[in-house]
Amino acid sequence: MAATSARPGMPESESESAHPELGAPTTGPPKAAPAGRTTASQLAGWALVLGLLVICLLAPKLFIPSFPRTLSAVFMFATLAQAWNIIGGFTGYPSFGNVVFFGLGGYTIAVLMARSHWSFWPALVVAVVLGAAYAMLIGIPTLRLKGHYFAIATLGVAEGTREIVLNVPKVTGGGAGITVPAVGPSATTSYPGNTGFLYYFLALLVVAMLAVYAIARSRFGFALRAINQDEDAAAAAGINTTRMKIAAFMVSGAITAAAGSIYAFQQVSIYPDRLFSVDITVLMVIMAVIGGSGTVIGPLVGGVGLQFLSEYLRQNFTDYHTFIFGAIIIVAVVLLPEGAVRFASETVRQRRLPIMDNLRRYRL
Amino acid sequence: MTPFLQATVYGLLQGGLLALIAVGFSLVWGVMNVVNLAHGALAITGAYFSWQLHESLGLDPVLSLVVVLPVMFMVGYVIQRGLINLVVNAPIWMTLLLTFGLEALIVNGLLLAFTGDFRSTRTGYSTNTLALGGVRIPYARLIAFGLSLLLTVALVLFIRNTKMGLAIRATGMDRTAARLMGMNVRHVYAVTFGTATALAAAAGSMIGLVGTFTPVVAGGYTLQSFVIAVLGGLGNMWGALAGGLVLGLATAWGALYLSGTLVNAIAFGILVLVLIVRPSGLLGKPYYEARAEA
Amino acid sequence: MTAALETRDLSVRFGGLKAVDGISVTVEDGRVLGVIGPNGAGKSTFINLITGQIRPTRGKVLVGGRDLTGAKPWKIAAARVARTFQINKPFRGLSVRDNVAIGAMFGAPGGGSVAKARGVADEVLERLGLSGVAELGPTELSVAHAQRLEVAKALALRPRVLFLDEAMAGLRPAEMEPQLELIRELRREGLAIVVVEHVMRAIRSVCDTVLVMQEGRELLTGPPDEVLADERVITAYLGQRYAERQRAERAEAGGSGPAVADQVGPRPEGETRAPG
Repeated sequence: MAATSARPGMPESESESAHPELGAPTTGPPKAAPAGRTTASQLAGWALVLGLLVICLLAPKLFIPSFPRTLSAVFMFATLAQAWNIIGGFTGYPSFGNVVFFGLGGYTIAVLMARSHWSFWPALVVAVVLGAAYAMLIGIPTLRLKGHYFAIATLGVAEGTREIVLNVPKVTGGGAGITVPAVGPSATTSYPGNTGFLYYFLALLVVAMLAVYAIARSRFGFALRAINQDEDAAAAAGINTTRMKIAAFMVSGAITAAAGSIYAFQQVSIYPDRLFSVDITVLMVIMAVIGGSGTVIGPLVGGVGLQFLSEYLRQNFTDYHTFIFGAIIIVAVVLLPEGAVRFASETVRQRRLPIMDNLRRYRL
Repeated sequence: MTPFLQATVYGLLQGGLLALIAVGFSLVWGVMNVVNLAHGALAITGAYFSWQLHESLGLDPVLSLVVVLPVMFMVGYVIQRGLINLVVNAPIWMTLLLTFGLEALIVNGLLLAFTGDFRSTRTGYSTNTLALGGVRIPYARLIAFGLSLLLTVALVLFIRNTKMGLAIRATGMDRTAARLMGMNVRHVYAVTFGTATALAAAAGSMIGLVGTFTPVVAGGYTLQSFVIAVLGGLGNMWGALAGGLVLGLATAWGALYLSGTLVNAIAFGILVLVLIVRPSGLLGKPYYEARAEA
Repeated sequence: MTAALETRDLSVRFGGLKAVDGISVTVEDGRVLGVIGPNGAGKSTFINLITGQIRPTRGKVLVGGRDLTGAKPWKIAAARVARTFQINKPFRGLSVRDNVAIGAMFGAPGGGSVAKARGVADEVLERLGLSGVAELGPTELSVAHAQRLEVAKALALRPRVLFLDEAMAGLRPAEMEPQLELIRELRREGLAIVVVEHVMRAIRSVCDTVLVMQEGRELLTGPPDEVLADERVITAYLGQRYAERQRAERAEAGGSGPAVADQVGPRPEGETRAPG
């Protein structure tokens, strides 16, 4: 929540994903899209993916000097948004502490590589496993809470974990941070460089996209959506809600931890404030939601779009960029509460821009 | 004994001030189910407001409240009526994101206008302290504490004894029923938010009186308001006061015996524990979940 | 033979309030138990205790002889106990077909893949006459269809025990008959069914036994005709004065006056309310 500068696609799944509501709108939820592929949503999906590709291709013209790094950040945030989407979008449990897995992953890498001289890849495996394990650990008590309470509990856990990391300097270097040996004799793995990391992040993004795509079409995805839409009815229908929620959280945590690991390696020197920053959490939530939480390509759209936007603003309006970004978020939330992807598919379906619909649906 | 006593007194005084910041946050959350991430930013806006009045007109921060309170009330009213009301019926994170955007807007606006330099509203009595039984109490802190108590009590009286206060409580319990009874819910919500903003701004003025501030600390105050609101029970005014005192004390004692940074971890530990064991807060009624909404 | 469902002294207290106090019932396969009582009697709470939404503070729940007291709802579902909810709880973002498929995917024995579950769902929808609306969203359904969807979701679990919590609510008399016929069919197929209702006609026409609850306790249990004519039941529903008037009228008319059934709930078409 501090004013630190924010750093700032695949066809729809077969059946339209859930409206991730935690509070019932008074004018009724949007009509459930018919199960099975519809040309409208397919079209919208492809259109968006194409749009993204165009942006990626034009990007070099917009920011030549640091392009690979920018793109890395874009891929990383899209991954974080997708990972959040699993627990926040599909399952409907808005985690405001997912950054804890990011930091955990990053610190695991750093500690194992710096102190125990592991090389990157085995350390990555450990980081991912730890991410999942930690998700299970904090999920068991917190997933009993709903809505706001869950959000704050996870936020509290993230902040608390950061404090703990800050206070064990012997292991983590405390406030002074820790440095991964990336060059020289103590380097265990050769440093991939900007282009290398670009591929790492891209690979992770692909993994995340595939995971979400698979989940959306699977029994697991159905269970999560059922839990989201009516947890009591889901339990009565035979879904072990506790197990499913924790599983979703674990997948989310694992992917987020992987992202944090690669990030830590890339940054070389890391600090608790950065790796456990609340801003990262809020950014991933915004990207997922404005893109379209509970959809498959929504977080991709949101992540890519908002991160590029953030970069563009930072480079061209250096003094005002966070200010403008905040204003854009406000506008986006008001006009696109369902997210860009659903807005796009509604537009195609109704053949007009349903801007006022959203306002009417949610305002007092 | 004296360091402990000193810490206790300091903790209580700070706690009272924190309570004033948090009480509005708790009210808004309890009545409207809106978690206002921009709350701390609004408080700091009050701090800058008082600071500027002091710089330009030499107005004492306490006196400046006469201006700050009504102006910030109107600011809050407009924000609610014009902006937050637009997403009140949406899933919870909509308001979270909206207020996050608002926070970014306000904090960066303040940074642009005032830069990130630490400011403080220095008055003639700023540095005077009262010595009482081996404990030093800065006058400024005493005044801030007194005012915080006063305003919190005023709020409670307002909520309990006035027609608008009743409207606020009724709307908080059942929005649809309130509407059917003829209440203008949009207006009631806006009044609630305006009140919360005014109180937060007043607290901000007091922050300037007792210490330093900069736009970046806004987030910290929002976070502390979270903890206090949960501790005290959402929408519970006395609870916010109690929660504020508890947090103030815990922080002060913690700073005395533990390393400074571990203190925050404790605060969050308390928060998570309370959420899991007794989500209605220390003073809240059980089964608060019964929010009858549309 | 072990009963499909048995409760022994089932009770729950909330603080000082005994919402359900010592209810013991037995439901055999192929039998229908009706549960009636004035509002607040604890009928829905009673169901919630059995199906795992609330933990009992005392007593036992046995399904097919197995002790499932306080088990989580999904364990209850795995034991082939299904229920509808008094206020319908559809999955709003899923189609009607997928709503039903969820139960087939997770609750029915053997579970199933998404495709297989959708197949089962189609069968259930066919049986309930919902095939035409399979693609719609639950919020687009008429009241009658919505009620049937609620039942369809439960049937997808291939239950042995079925709870119907006010499944007739909101239905016009003409719409009720298909629902009642469905219950009779399920009864013939051997399901043990518990029906919570306010519509006395439904109770009369499908129940073998009726349990009357009042303030959490069992007031009376017996065959529908007996129970519905019992003065205590009339008093519980309509008050002391009415019961006395009824008694007087019936004595005059020689013991064949109207009973509770005719005074409470929607009227079948064409009948007028008896004077009094």
